[in-house]
Amino acid sequence: MSAEDLVTGEGQATGRPRTPVEGKASRERLLWRFRIVRLVRPGRVPDDSPAGDESAVRRRLGFSFWLAVVWLLIMAFVAAFAPLLPVADPTKVAFGGPREPPSLDAWFGTDALGRDVFSRTLHGARISLAVGGFAIVFGMVVGGGLGILGGYFRGRLDQAVGFVFFVLLSFPALVLAILITATLERSMLVVSLTIGILAVAPVGLLARASTLVFAEREFVSAARVLGAKPGRIIVRELLPNVVIPMGALTLLGMAVAVVAEGSLAFLGLSVAGEDAISWGKMIVDGAGLRDLQNATHVTMFPVAVMFVTVLSLNFAGDRIRQYFDVKELAF
Amino acid sequence: MRRVVLLFAVLFAVTFLGFAAMNLLGDPLVNVVGVLAELDCEGIEAGTAEDTTVDAASRDCDTVAAAKAQYHLDRPVPIRYVLWLGDMATGDFGTSFQNDQPVSHVIREKLPETLILLTMAQIVSLGVAIPWGVIAAYRANRAFDRGSTVASFGLLSVPNFALGVVLLYLLALRWQIFPSAYESDNFGGLVFSMVLPAVTLGLPLAASYQRLLRTDLITTLQEDFVHMARAKGLPPMRIMFRHALRPSMFSVVTVFGVSTGALIGGSLVVEQIFGIPGIGREIVTAVVRDDFPVVLAIVMLVATTFVVLNFLVDLLYSWLDPRVRAR
Repeated sequence: MSAEDLVTGEGQATGRPRTPVEGKASRERLLWRFRIVRLVRPGRVPDDSPAGDESAVRRRLGFSFWLAVVWLLIMAFVAAFAPLLPVADPTKVAFGGPREPPSLDAWFGTDALGRDVFSRTLHGARISLAVGGFAIVFGMVVGGGLGILGGYFRGRLDQAVGFVFFVLLSFPALVLAILITATLERSMLVVSLTIGILAVAPVGLLARASTLVFAEREFVSAARVLGAKPGRIIVRELLPNVVIPMGALTLLGMAVAVVAEGSLAFLGLSVAGEDAISWGKMIVDGAGLRDLQNATHVTMFPVAVMFVTVLSLNFAGDRIRQYFDVKELAF
Repeated sequence: MRRVVLLFAVLFAVTFLGFAAMNLLGDPLVNVVGVLAELDCEGIEAGTAEDTTVDAASRDCDTVAAAKAQYHLDRPVPIRYVLWLGDMATGDFGTSFQNDQPVSHVIREKLPETLILLTMAQIVSLGVAIPWGVIAAYRANRAFDRGSTVASFGLLSVPNFALGVVLLYLLALRWQIFPSAYESDNFGGLVFSMVLPAVTLGLPLAASYQRLLRTDLITTLQEDFVHMARAKGLPPMRIMFRHALRPSMFSVVTVFGVSTGALIGGSLVVEQIFGIPGIGREIVTAVVRDDFPVVLAIVMLVATTFVVLNFLVDLLYSWLDPRVRAR
């Protein structure tokens, strides 16, 4: 009975206004759903209201969606080609005087060491987006793989996988991340992996839930009757279906990963080194009371850029989620 | 009963995972004795290696041996884990490498600040979310509801360190309504100085509570007993708060436990911004200094609290909606 809540539900896609009877039915499903929702961290805007005006939104992405996408594309471009852009060297000390306000030379001003904040903000996109992207891909490969296997084979394997997910979710995310980054050298790979591990359990739960639905569908039974081996069924029949809801949540997951990297960087536990510029690190650099008082721009520009980026990820991600009608809030 | 078994299984797994990570990924011996850890004591005893340190060989090797014995470092990890678990169970959390204070002492000193902060954050978020959600659901899809959707979306997209810095700048530095630093002179001042951190933590949470509450309330308002109450002629707000609110608190209670985990994560950052000497700041400091027992003890404490809290939340359901009990 699970799963139409979680994935591409059939019954609800029509967007009819609910009758009270339907309201009760959904309540029953809601009760069931706690098993999964409670494993999931809060923070996402929950799924659509039952008020019934969603059908209009659902199949249209809208202007603001494309606005968010454009911003994300700009950020991706900047991240990819930051060293080639005609901006100052982000690590060059005394590019201007210390804590100069924004001017034509330094659009975002300079920080306490006289480094160009604009250039640093552009370069900061590199680590944030790279770590975010890698983490979510890692989560999808490992978590998605485990989830599909558990959901298809059921039994002992399923229980084991479920237990692993449960344990992973039993650590508050940032505490688990700290545990790992505390003990290992903080290279790009370690930080990405750390945040990737955080993504494993939520993605895995989603993949498992979708697999459960599709494993009972006719085309899977048909494949089995025709003599397809489990491996073939998983790759040819289940994977293409499970990837859709997972893919629909990629951007939302990336938003969480970018914030997680920012938090680690803010605590000084993200990628180490002078040239490892990240938004979180820039924000903490200017967050001392004196800097905040006299040179607000040092913090506020990276804060603004980071906010718009995360907002774009969330917004575009949420639209995509609605577009594919994925119900689960995940991450 | 099955749930209790699961609870303990998870607790063991969580503590073991944390313990193994700290022991295998880093070398705890290095943390205790520093460079002496590289000393080849067995080689010196056997006369095959030279002692390169300033002190006499015997003394250095004694230090290493003593440290090994104290932290059971000469045993394999699983045995060390059992010994450590035994110590934890009897309230012996180990000794901080940095200042030789017992870890339990450190925790007892820092815990109240964090608890006050977390409690205040939850109060703020519930205090904001309940009226907000009720009003949004009361006039669903009208202007206020639409506006609050946008607002909560924005709030959920601010990383809490960014929100903290912005609030600190605006409310503490620019308009100087709240103190910018932690005060501990008296309880009132303490609470007052915690308002800003609590708001930083609580506001995004309030947004997500509000969304959940609104969705549930809209569903509840279509139920028969609400129609009944309305037919009796009860005032709308009385129906909202007395009849509809309680059965609509499900999702909020569900994420309450989980959100506490998010709050604990957030408190690491927020304590850093506002200079609150709590658990979160302590663990970050301990991580930077490689203070292994402190990190481990705090991680365990947090993870255990988190697991137990979620277990309790499960029990809360049946109180909220008697229909769950019947199942």
